Amino acid sequence: MGDEELAKDLGLLSALTIGVGTMIGAGIFVLPGQAAAAAGPAVALSFVVGGVISLFTALSASELGTAMPKAGGSYYYVNHALGPLLGSIAGWGNWMGLAFASAFYTLGFGEYIATFLPLPAIVLGPVGLTAYQVGALIAGLAFIAVNYIGAKETGSVQVVIVTLLVGILTVFSVLGFLQADISTLRPFFPPETGGPAAVLPATGLVFVSFLGFAKITTVAEELKNPGRNLPIAVVGSVLIVTTMYAIIMVVLMGVINWRQLGPAFTTTPVLDVAEIAFGTVGLAAVGVGLLTFAGLLATASSANASILASSRINFAMGRDKLISAKLNVIHPNFATPYRSIAVTGSLILLFIVVGDVKTLAKAGSVLHLIVYGLLNIALIVMREADVEEYDPAFEVPLYPIVPILGALTSFGLIAFMEPIEIALSLVFVAGGVIWYLVYARGKADKKGILSQYILARSDELPQPAVKAASTVQPDGGTYRVMVPLANPEHEKDLITLASAIAKQRGGTVDAVHIVTVPDQTALAGAAEYTDEIDASSETLLERAREDAETFGVPVETHTIISHRRFEEVFDAARSHDADLVVMGWGADSHGSPGRVESAFDEVTQEVPCDFVVMRDRGFDPSELLVPTAGGPDSDLSASVAKLLQQEYGSDVSLLHVTDDEAEGRSFLDSWAEEHDLEDATLLVESGDVETRIEEAAADASMVVIGATERGLLNRLVSGSMVLDVVDDVECSVLMAEKARRRSLRERLFG
Amino acid sequence: MAELLDNVVLPVASRDDAAETVAAIRPYLDGAEVTVVHVIEKAGGAPDKASVEQREEEADHIFDIVEDGLADATVERDLRYSTDTVDAIFDAAEDADASAIVVSTRGGNRLLQLLTGDVALKLVTENDRPVVVLPHDDDSTEPTPDTEDGSDHG
Repeated sequence: MGDEELAKDLGLLSALTIGVGTMIGAGIFVLPGQAAAAAGPAVALSFVVGGVISLFTALSASELGTAMPKAGGSYYYVNHALGPLLGSIAGWGNWMGLAFASAFYTLGFGEYIATFLPLPAIVLGPVGLTAYQVGALIAGLAFIAVNYIGAKETGSVQVVIVTLLVGILTVFSVLGFLQADISTLRPFFPPETGGPAAVLPATGLVFVSFLGFAKITTVAEELKNPGRNLPIAVVGSVLIVTTMYAIIMVVLMGVINWRQLGPAFTTTPVLDVAEIAFGTVGLAAVGVGLLTFAGLLATASSANASILASSRINFAMGRDKLISAKLNVIHPNFATPYRSIAVTGSLILLFIVVGDVKTLAKAGSVLHLIVYGLLNIALIVMREADVEEYDPAFEVPLYPIVPILGALTSFGLIAFMEPIEIALSLVFVAGGVIWYLVYARGKADKKGILSQYILARSDELPQPAVKAASTVQPDGGTYRVMVPLANPEHEKDLITLASAIAKQRGGTVDAVHIVTVPDQTALAGAAEYTDEIDASSETLLERAREDAETFGVPVETHTIISHRRFEEVFDAARSHDADLVVMGWGADSHGSPGRVESAFDEVTQEVPCDFVVMRDRGFDPSELLVPTAGGPDSDLSASVAKLLQQEYGSDVSLLHVTDDEAEGRSFLDSWAEEHDLEDATLLVESGDVETRIEEAAADASMVVIGATERGLLNRLVSGSMVLDVVDDVECSVLMAEKARRRSLRERLFG
Repeated sequence: MAELLDNVVLPVASRDDAAETVAAIRPYLDGAEVTVVHVIEKAGGAPDKASVEQREEEADHIFDIVEDGLADATVERDLRYSTDTVDAIFDAAEDADASAIVVSTRGGNRLLQLLTGDVALKLVTENDRPVVVLPHDDDSTEPTPDTEDGSDHG
């Protein structure tokens, strides 16, 4: 057996028991009273509806799981397919959903423990804790400790626990069934609960009983033969528990009238029924004992599995840089992700203190339903985007009906929750969005399949979709310098400049060859040009790679086929998350006349990143001249000069042209200091600006100038403006224009 | 001792352990062959306490520490998956045909050793080849790179 197989040691039975063990928890041992009060005997139907909704998602999760057996499960698929924005929502939703559900399971455990252990109610200042909550807090601490220390023995008893549970519940059902009276079940739809209309809201309440099948996918990487075992375990566990739930509900309400099962009469309706059912064979006490034991096992295993699953989601989110890697540090002695467990554990304890059973159950359900809905959409995206690596061993039947129904029913069930619970879910969605934009966007480097799909087809798909996809792209952690290449003659100088900057900023160079084809040629049909394009691109990009590598700078190369050239630069800068674009410009590289102006309308609104445009007359950074009149664009020219100085030890001269020499000198002094260029030669001249610049440039090997007014870049590349200075000086000229990003609000809604 | 330490198996459990073990063994190794073994403990039929991928990433960090610390030696990485850490280390020693297994005594109080199942002790008591136990010297402990938390140790 190879290491690969050794790492994967979860068999079918283990996988099945994870699903069944997590699901048969508080849902069946704690909620029946609340559920009975919500819909009467028809709540059996609510469980079936919950099972059907779960089944759609279970099928989708199985397909995604066999295609991508990665730690993190549902979160991973959503993030992978739909990108880090929705990934953040799914990750936080899944994590918090598990914390809420764990608090709910633990509270259920507290209720069972309180039936035989006299626990005191405690008042701590403003917080009053019931005996159940005290029991739950103690139990919660124990579950967290077990996971923190990571006793592997807990895992090996999982199969035993679940087998015992299923056994006890089967005996219970059979004995109960013998005692059940069909007339107790009538009316099946009691008018006081609202008749059949009560079924779906009750499904919302009991859906927490189905959270668990997707947890199998969070450990998919550990499954033996996941292609076969994952779908069987996921779908199988849903079918098993749905059947058990429906039968047990009918039995419960057949033995005791549903009105007497409600929370007003008892907190542990299952025990009341057990007393009667086992009482007929003279074993009432044994029955109550067995069911109490089962209730404890069930809630404990659910809570335990949820805590474990949440640390997997943390790990997966950390892997995608959506949360800090610090959370996923492994304990030196226990080899557990102890920080993640401690944080989740603290949340669970907090939720136990502030929440009641019903709220916790529904909060857990709503958040999971959001994740399940997104998961189904993720599957559709993976199929439609036709990703080569996507090769699931199991495919959902009746595609696309199953995932569509899965998404609709998952989101739809949320509508049957109370407004406050819906509001809560929206708070978490908003929280995920804000988290992404404020924290994660600058760090995440992984793009979703969806946005790649849209951006790769930016010419075919509607503009709003393309724009939406590009505005929420992750920035990536590193500084990226993109170099659009067209003319091989200038390749070396551009790459040298870009590499020098990237090296100083610890960033990477992204060399892009933009190949323009005539408008008449469909991009998809450009395949006929492929050989030609390949050959020229390859040589050009290969040289670019070599030149960048002499600086020891990481380099990426891409070829883009487009109808447009300059517009494509802007698009590529956006989609490649460039921080700086270094491009060449000269008499030979004007845009094609006639169609440029209109194409640039959109561009003038936003410069996606910093730009340095080079009029290339040889790369010699020994004597830099930086003319400045202040302003954001000259800030960029100053930092480019500074970076070149650091790399090449250049002599830098700063030039300010003004008629008031004293004022000009003090301006230049403070400007130099501000930009860390105190060692530069300061030149203050009066007279005609362009003439003075040209004179000073005679001594320089390169001029670095900021755009003096907005939109210089656009007019420059569109050929609608000619800057005399650029043409009149002898040396190379770098023109800098700062990014103009739209505000957060504009980006979201603009 | 040169022959005994010609071809050693070096089990390491964590980044801290790697740094300490490296500091402890460095004076004794002279161009030796070192097989550094890290065992990912499997639950054997239940989900593991941490994601396998997460543990594999951690293993890379641990191996890096040893490789960087023992630049003079030939270091071979051996990552194993097993429900029994000690068995896996013995297997690694057999596969490498090791002249000895070298451990440095791990810190931690009795309770910690009980909770983690003290591997060093089992290695010494259940061995099938020479086991060299190096003294654990606090002064020679190097600061552990990349570890944000060393407070749990000792």
